[in-house]
Amino acid sequence: MKRLFRGLLLVGALAGALVMVKSYLQRRDPPGEEAVQIVFDDGSTRSLSSNTVEGQEFTDIARKVLEIGA
Amino acid sequence: MSEGRTTGTESNAGGSRNGELERALGDLRALSGDIESCSVLSRTGDLLYSSHGPGVERARVAAMLGALAGLAGRSAREEGKVRAAQVRVRTEAGHLLMVGLEDGGTLVAATALEARVGLVLYDMRNARAEIEKAAGEVG
Repeated sequence: MKRLFRGLLLVGALAGALVMVKSYLQRRDPPGEEAVQIVFDDGSTRSLSSNTVEGQEFTDIARKVLEIGA
Repeated sequence: MSEGRTTGTESNAGGSRNGELERALGDLRALSGDIESCSVLSRTGDLLYSSHGPGVERARVAAMLGALAGLAGRSAREEGKVRAAQVRVRTEAGHLLMVGLEDGGTLVAATALEARVGLVLYDMRNARAEIEKAAGEVG
């Protein structure tokens, strides 16, 4: 009985480890990740995600500037 | 930040008037090694200085930076603020950082993706007074 319990525990641990490894390998950046941060003159901030129209406007132009290079 | 016309004045092609600006930006780049390129826009959107090489069309750089400054200004108005003091844009090609100058101009720096952006922004803010002074002499 004790041996069976140990066996089940081992199988469970292996299955859990497999699930963790699979989810780690399949992970992706969350959609709409913060791409733009604006700090205003009064110290307040506004963050824009890359999946918003405004955020996309910023990143599109910034990418072109960065592609020009130094 | 500047958001007016983007005429793309080629003004770092020599001359003593912008020598101070070139020196101030050289000091900034020496201090902050993560900066790959930097530019200064005037309040009216003229490109006062750009570290981009001679092969780069300055009018194009000025237009794009002016457009970004315009977007930041629009965002400030939407939020009921006077102006944007600092903008950080992260793309897969790297970071584009903008710091507003007192006279309405903009200091812009480009870094790689793995750059220590907080430190670069800190250095940009510290260099602002000297750049404002030098830009005032050019503008």
